[in-house]
Amino acid sequence: MTDRTVANATCLGCGCTCDDITVVVKQDHIAEARNACALGAAWFGDGTVPAETRVNGRAASLEQALTEAARLLNGARHPLVYLAGDVSSETQREAVAIADRLHAAIDSLAATAATAVLAAQRRGRAGATLGEIRQRADLIVFWAVDPSGRYPRYGSRYAVEPRGMAAPQGRQSRTLIAVDVGENLGPADSDGRMAIAPSDEVDSLEVMRATVQGRAVGEDARFRPAVELARRMTGARYVVIVADGEPGLTPADPARAEALVTLAQALNGPTRCALSTLRGGGNRSGADAVLTWQTGFPFAVDFSRGYPSYQPQAGAATLLGGGDVDAALVVGAPATLPVSVATGLARVRSVVIGPRASAATFQPAVTIDTGLAGIHEGGTAFRMDDVPLPLRPALEAPHAALVTVRALRERLRT
Amino acid sequence: MTQPGRLRITGGTVYDPANGVEGVVRDVCIESDQIVAEVPASAPRLDARGMVVMPGGVDIHAHVAGSSVNHARRLLPEEHAADPLTAPPLEDGAVARSGTGGTVPSTFATGYRYAGLGYTTVMEAAVAPLAARHAHAELDDTPIIDAGFFVLLGNDDYLLRQLAASEAARARDYVAWLLGTTRGYAIKIVNPGGVAVWKGGGDRRNVSGLDDALGSSAVTPRRILETLAGAANALALPHPVHIHCNNLGQPGNSATTLESMKALSGQRAHFTHLQFHSYGGAPGKGWASAARAVIEYVNRHAEVSVDVGQVMFGSATTVTADSPVEHLLYASSGRKWVNVDIELESGCGIVPYSYKEKAAVAALQWSVGLELFLLANDPWRVVLSTDHPNGGTFLSYPELIRLLMDRGYRDDRLKAVNQKLLVGSALLDGLGREYTLGEIAIVTRAGPARLLGLKNKGHLAPGADADVTIYANDADRAKMFATPRYVIKAGTLVVEDGQLRRAPVGRRLAVRPEYDAAVTTDVKRFFEQYACVAFENYGAALP
Repeated sequence: MTDRTVANATCLGCGCTCDDITVVVKQDHIAEARNACALGAAWFGDGTVPAETRVNGRAASLEQALTEAARLLNGARHPLVYLAGDVSSETQREAVAIADRLHAAIDSLAATAATAVLAAQRRGRAGATLGEIRQRADLIVFWAVDPSGRYPRYGSRYAVEPRGMAAPQGRQSRTLIAVDVGENLGPADSDGRMAIAPSDEVDSLEVMRATVQGRAVGEDARFRPAVELARRMTGARYVVIVADGEPGLTPADPARAEALVTLAQALNGPTRCALSTLRGGGNRSGADAVLTWQTGFPFAVDFSRGYPSYQPQAGAATLLGGGDVDAALVVGAPATLPVSVATGLARVRSVVIGPRASAATFQPAVTIDTGLAGIHEGGTAFRMDDVPLPLRPALEAPHAALVTVRALRERLRT
Repeated sequence: MTQPGRLRITGGTVYDPANGVEGVVRDVCIESDQIVAEVPASAPRLDARGMVVMPGGVDIHAHVAGSSVNHARRLLPEEHAADPLTAPPLEDGAVARSGTGGTVPSTFATGYRYAGLGYTTVMEAAVAPLAARHAHAELDDTPIIDAGFFVLLGNDDYLLRQLAASEAARARDYVAWLLGTTRGYAIKIVNPGGVAVWKGGGDRRNVSGLDDALGSSAVTPRRILETLAGAANALALPHPVHIHCNNLGQPGNSATTLESMKALSGQRAHFTHLQFHSYGGAPGKGWASAARAVIEYVNRHAEVSVDVGQVMFGSATTVTADSPVEHLLYASSGRKWVNVDIELESGCGIVPYSYKEKAAVAALQWSVGLELFLLANDPWRVVLSTDHPNGGTFLSYPELIRLLMDRGYRDDRLKAVNQKLLVGSALLDGLGREYTLGEIAIVTRAGPARLLGLKNKGHLAPGADADVTIYANDADRAKMFATPRYVIKAGTLVVEDGQLRRAPVGRRLAVRPEYDAAVTTDVKRFFEQYACVAFENYGAALP
């Protein structure tokens, strides 16, 4: 293959899903991923991926591997399908079809943000696509998160720096407030900050909502800064609250997630407000979208009764931990698996089809290495705000995930 | 017949109003995926004696696929849990998919259930261009039905800028480019200007009438309507501009609706879910029916077409790009609520809802819809819809058909509803009209196909798509239309003896109008300045 440049490539390094990357290929390796942040540069790497196919640890042909994978899954009584990272939504659709056919349980990387998803299912959401934040936001409240760590270009591409229609001066047109909750700090370069003890966080959010709604909130000194912030938010033109949907230093709290949603909703009385929930990369938002349109549920779906049922309290880690799974199919990069899932997978016979499958640490019975969606394979990925984007592969891989997963589906029992 | 081949449907009573056939016993012949004049005597036969044969149903306006619909699905786990669907057993070893129903079914369930109802073509009514790729992916997972979608344009920032600059030609080129690049089918306007105001923040939350200016005095709902209706007609799109008027659901909104129709007088335009826009009274001062005034205007103006958006009692989910309306519904109902502002284009609002017979406003809405149907003179321009799932789901169409065809049943139902707001309504005064089977065939297939410009759909002349629905002629019209005996889609027998047997892939309906390519240079400049998606990555054009 010749040296070349692929413009407008989409990065799955985090949920920002930046689609302005220029990938420079020299001698079949990625020499540069222009515009990418450090996280993105690491995600692209040099584009080298292993290209092995193994059965029980030994090299095998693709045919042998697919046959063994089908045998293993067809023979399972309680199979689990897991959608890991770095596959396209086209591949995810095939994987859900496999779970449906096997009457398997299926879960995905999207479940890492389960607390936020469940809060949205109880209350709804007041949201916006990221570009709308860029156009409108004049007051941005970073709630216990500094996106520069896990979502490095969130500020430069979406929320903070860029000029928007109602923010003609970009950063200068906006006020940034950091809310520090315990050790979870907002951005250092904010225009103002407020510290809250973790034990006061949910109460503070409730006090803020009461303030926004014009209800009496009492005179408790602990909440005075929160009341002031709420008043400031009420006086803004378009408020954005940024919160992290992914697991952090402290366990996810359903009451906190719900309080963030209801505060954002309430602000839409006196002003406009969107809650921007940050989510991780690898096209996990695609897994959420695909499962929702195919089954009606965003994660933790069980097909064992012949139809989708929702088991948000019995996701992959719980099923594996409880010994309720006798075989598993992982579609996607095993390196992206949550630790609890990877640990559980060590207890069952498994098939892994995805990028660097052969490097899985839990000793799968069958591994088929594929390329990464967005580097070696095209298709569609979803940004953290559910905006779909095309993928522009710069390299080729020996096995495409989509074709391989489809080939497996066609071998399964009907 | 297992694969598309030849078939003679014999002895059925055929309703094919587009070809002047009303209740005539005759054969219908199919070869491959088309209706033909004759097939050889050796061709397989399907005995339809005593049954009613119609073209496949055509839904002109439903919310079935795309990012807003998926937000609604995500919001409704309880409904999905209550209505599971196992994979239907198919012939020929084909594998079907399971799913879930409720008011917003999963994609596979949507395809199976539409086909099971005898509908073979469905238009998704509201897709933001930014999420066109998502809508196509969902439609790819929606089996059997042919489908297309309408592209949201009435609050599009680039378009509004062209209006402000009086660049009508560029606006038209933009529309043409956008339809092509999204693989859309028609132009959709939702609350022109109102969603842009909602997104803008500040003191205003919506527009209130056709001449409310948005920033520039050149940009008003009226100008948006005129520009887009003009573009659709100048581009000779198969379907005219599809309009959801300002002030949806507000008492007294019939004045806005009539003004919108008058603003486009002489131009073809389709006004959707008219029921939600035909109220008298005034904000804060009560509600009344204004159905008669609105439908009389429609009756007199051949350039206007409508679908009704009937409200049916029971569960619904309101899902619309008209986000300011959903905020009002959230505030008044206290139910869960989704709002998503969509960058540079549109909005999305969702509130689950239910219409209760004993609720005065719901009963008024039910009545207004029926009045529109029963006072309409020309069924070719008044299409059956519930704005699925807003006024009720598509599964309620058979019940609606019975309400239209069976006066005794209708009057019984009328007695059971809250009549507080029905004073002065034509329905309470007594409307004796009963729709005939021929008229039902018009409002559920021939009419919408014609209004959509689908020349091969909605009729059974040679050359038409072989989409055919065959019903047992049951006196209970709800039962008859809920469970067709046979449904043929593109020549494939998909429903047999009331059971889904085959689930072929449906076709995508899209347009690709011509435009002056110079517009893309300007759009690209706009993208570079404001968008956060690369111009090259936008849309859903096929490689």
